[in-house]
Amino acid sequence: MAELTVENLHLRYGDNPILKGVSMQLERGEVVSLLGPSGSGKTTLLRAVAGLEQPHAGRILIGERVVFDGAGAIELPAEARNLGLVFQSYALWPHKTVLDNVAYGLKLRDVGRAESAERVAKVLEQLGLGKLGQRFPHQLSGGQQQRVAIARALVYNPPVILLDEPLSNLDAKLREEARAFLRELIVRLGLSALVVTHDQSEAMAMSDRILLLNNGVIEQQGTPQQMYASPATLFTAEFMGSNNRLKGKLAEVRDGRARIAGDGWALWGALRGEATPGREAVGVIRLEQVRVAENGEGNRLRLPLSTSMFLGDKWEHLFRAGDMPLRAHSAGELGPGEYWLDFPADRLWVF
Amino acid sequence: MASVPASWTPESRAVALAPRALTILVTAAAVFAPLALILYQSLLDAPFFDAKKNAGLDAYRFIFADADFWQASENSFLIAGGMTLIAVPLGALLAFVMERTDIRGRQWIEPLLLVPSFVSPMVLSFGYVVAAGPVGFYTIWTRDLFGAAPWNIYSVLGMTVIAGLTHVPNVYVYASSALKSLGSDVEEAARVIGASPFRVALSVSLPLIMPSLLFSAVLVFFLGFELFGLPLVLGDPEGILVLSTYLYKLTNKLGTPSYHLMAAVAMCIVAITFPLVLLQRQLLKGSRKYASIKGKAGRMRELPLGPWKWLAMALIALWIFTAVLVPLSGVALRAFVTNWGEGVNLSEALTLETFRTIWGEPTMMRGILNTVLIGVVGGLLTVACYTAIGFATHRRNDGWSRFVDYLILVPRAVPGLLIGLAFLWVFLFFPPLTPLRSTLFSVWLAYSVVWLAYGIRLISSSLLQVSPELEEAARSAGARRARVSRDITLPLIRYGLLGSWLLVFMIFEREYSTAVYLLAPGTEVIGAQLVSLWQGGAIDIVAGLSLINVVLVGVGLGVALRFGVRLRD
Repeated sequence: MAELTVENLHLRYGDNPILKGVSMQLERGEVVSLLGPSGSGKTTLLRAVAGLEQPHAGRILIGERVVFDGAGAIELPAEARNLGLVFQSYALWPHKTVLDNVAYGLKLRDVGRAESAERVAKVLEQLGLGKLGQRFPHQLSGGQQQRVAIARALVYNPPVILLDEPLSNLDAKLREEARAFLRELIVRLGLSALVVTHDQSEAMAMSDRILLLNNGVIEQQGTPQQMYASPATLFTAEFMGSNNRLKGKLAEVRDGRARIAGDGWALWGALRGEATPGREAVGVIRLEQVRVAENGEGNRLRLPLSTSMFLGDKWEHLFRAGDMPLRAHSAGELGPGEYWLDFPADRLWVF
Repeated sequence: MASVPASWTPESRAVALAPRALTILVTAAAVFAPLALILYQSLLDAPFFDAKKNAGLDAYRFIFADADFWQASENSFLIAGGMTLIAVPLGALLAFVMERTDIRGRQWIEPLLLVPSFVSPMVLSFGYVVAAGPVGFYTIWTRDLFGAAPWNIYSVLGMTVIAGLTHVPNVYVYASSALKSLGSDVEEAARVIGASPFRVALSVSLPLIMPSLLFSAVLVFFLGFELFGLPLVLGDPEGILVLSTYLYKLTNKLGTPSYHLMAAVAMCIVAITFPLVLLQRQLLKGSRKYASIKGKAGRMRELPLGPWKWLAMALIALWIFTAVLVPLSGVALRAFVTNWGEGVNLSEALTLETFRTIWGEPTMMRGILNTVLIGVVGGLLTVACYTAIGFATHRRNDGWSRFVDYLILVPRAVPGLLIGLAFLWVFLFFPPLTPLRSTLFSVWLAYSVVWLAYGIRLISSSLLQVSPELEEAARSAGARRARVSRDITLPLIRYGLLGSWLLVFMIFEREYSTAVYLLAPGTEVIGAQLVSLWQGGAIDIVAGLSLINVVLVGVGLGVALRFGVRLRD
């Protein structure tokens, strides 16, 4: 059953359209990420669901309940939607203790004192905040503040929990731990969650399904594996992972395969667009798919090494084909010179 | 599953909106009623409550035919223009020295720099009379030492210089916040390229704070037209009038209260000040033009003044001496002397006689008590009202909010004297309010309207510090707007509100012109009493009450400094 349904949502600030017809569903127990570059409308969509932004057309349903309908002029205010929202800044109330912060939602729902205390204690326990109830937000670390913010959003058992860039305020080191903690928590408590993020690796790690937004519309949606391994558009291909980008012309099309050619080079790839020979084309291949090879047999180019960078677990090399940079990984160091690079044809997408 | 919070219906939203609309409408009534009355009155040829009145432009015809009116207008322009030319360069220079150089003793210089803006102009002007007038303390001492005292404060030039010096703080406040927000990295960049400190000040700092200086220039010019106490006190001996004193003296001139003429003069003043207020609003937007060039907030290296230090110190000391020390010491001394003149020995003339007289005079004691009451209790109520108005527009960008934006500008454009006059009429002739005429409520209401723009700015600067997400978090946890205001926003701004209360206390202690026309048995406040006693020539009592007034403001200032209230925004 869908806990959250968004149908053809439109929203604009003044004359500036932000959402241009977005539709999505969130099933019970599912984690969905809204991924996209800044300005793509992902946070706006989340805030519209929460009732903090006003769309002008479309529908939003929470369970069976219509909370926004542009046609029927229904608009429930944020406080009547009964959602849990975790802010990017956490937005903990600085004048309330951790206990009061978490208990506030129960107080608003007229939950009795004893029951409230019990539920707050339970959720603090679940989030590993058991002993911090009497502290004020400024006495907590960033990671603890984040967990209080989550506890505050969970305590009244909202059907859906919304998280806006939940990891972006944490240090790089903490972020990976928090990512694992969050994923595990959501799965353990069986939550339905909608997560906004601009970081594709975060989205892949945390969610069951990714919605990639671009310029106010959903570009592509699917499981993290689908999004990564079979992107339908150039935008998706380039947004996920780290990529090499080859600009050239479509030289030849044969059996779903396309030959892309540039200044002094040509490669075979998988066709992902119109089969019109001669048109401008862009080839995209993930960095980890490009290999340094022994000889020139197959879909390979011989290129001069420009520079190398040591990344710890591997090396990254920068090659040049004319003025086009190409990057590849290798386990070991490479000396100066020219090398053969292998581009597996089924992994090079030609758009 | 937890229940959804309190059920929501369209009706409940309408109920939630009612207090907001009510707040805004009451404010609008309090602002527009008196002004509409002035406008209406100016278009009649007799007082509006008179049976034989005709609509027409007779009042304007009369004042435009009066040579004194044109002389007063000319003086107003001269003084306003002249004081702007004095205050702006001095204020900018002080701001630069205080913000950018290694001058010492900043922490005690700054409160002193702000003193003239907290002391009643009536008191300051009186202080100049008794300190630097023809028989003032400093005049006589200078004459004893050097044989002559080459100044005459009873002249347009004298008034202009004094007005200019006492309005330096208004420029200083804006110039120094502009410098603060500028971030020193843009200046450091110029230094690194090879510009000398002086060059940097001239070619980087000055152009970047120009919008703020322009704004404060218009502000000071505008305040020049509001001057009342200064020209009343210093212009009187030589019969020099400006527009506000011309209006005040109209009654004496004609022998009868000629309300229509006063209203016509009032409209002429508003015709000058209102465009200036709108211009300020435009410029204020422009003054934030460079705010985005915000460098790192890091501590900058101060500019070493070297030997210039002495010049800077001397300049600051000279300004503090003339703008703060001279008038205040004059008031303080004069309050303990009952006869003073050439050849009187100060140590023998000291006496507490003045304070004994004040102690024995019920109206004066009532005036002191009322002044404290209006500052403490009135100030609290005023802050409560301003807070209500602040909340009515908080985080709402609709027609109502824009209306309030302009609404609060309106009283800003009308000098306090005129608002007091208009409220007098409202209280006299609007029957439901008549019983409150001789209560402090009338003065309180007029004060609150006069200081509306200032107060709302205090409140909204507190409100803007509350991050919108804190409120949104409460909304999505299930709290209605009113509940959010009560549980989240209000507790978060409580210290800001306490600070606002203190500042409102101080400006209410300082205020004088608004209460001039409202002065009646029961509504005495020190400020208005000073004006009327000065007219009556009771110099001793004026000195005593002035000193008490300064002490009251000083207490407020002391408490504010003790608790670290920001004296400026």
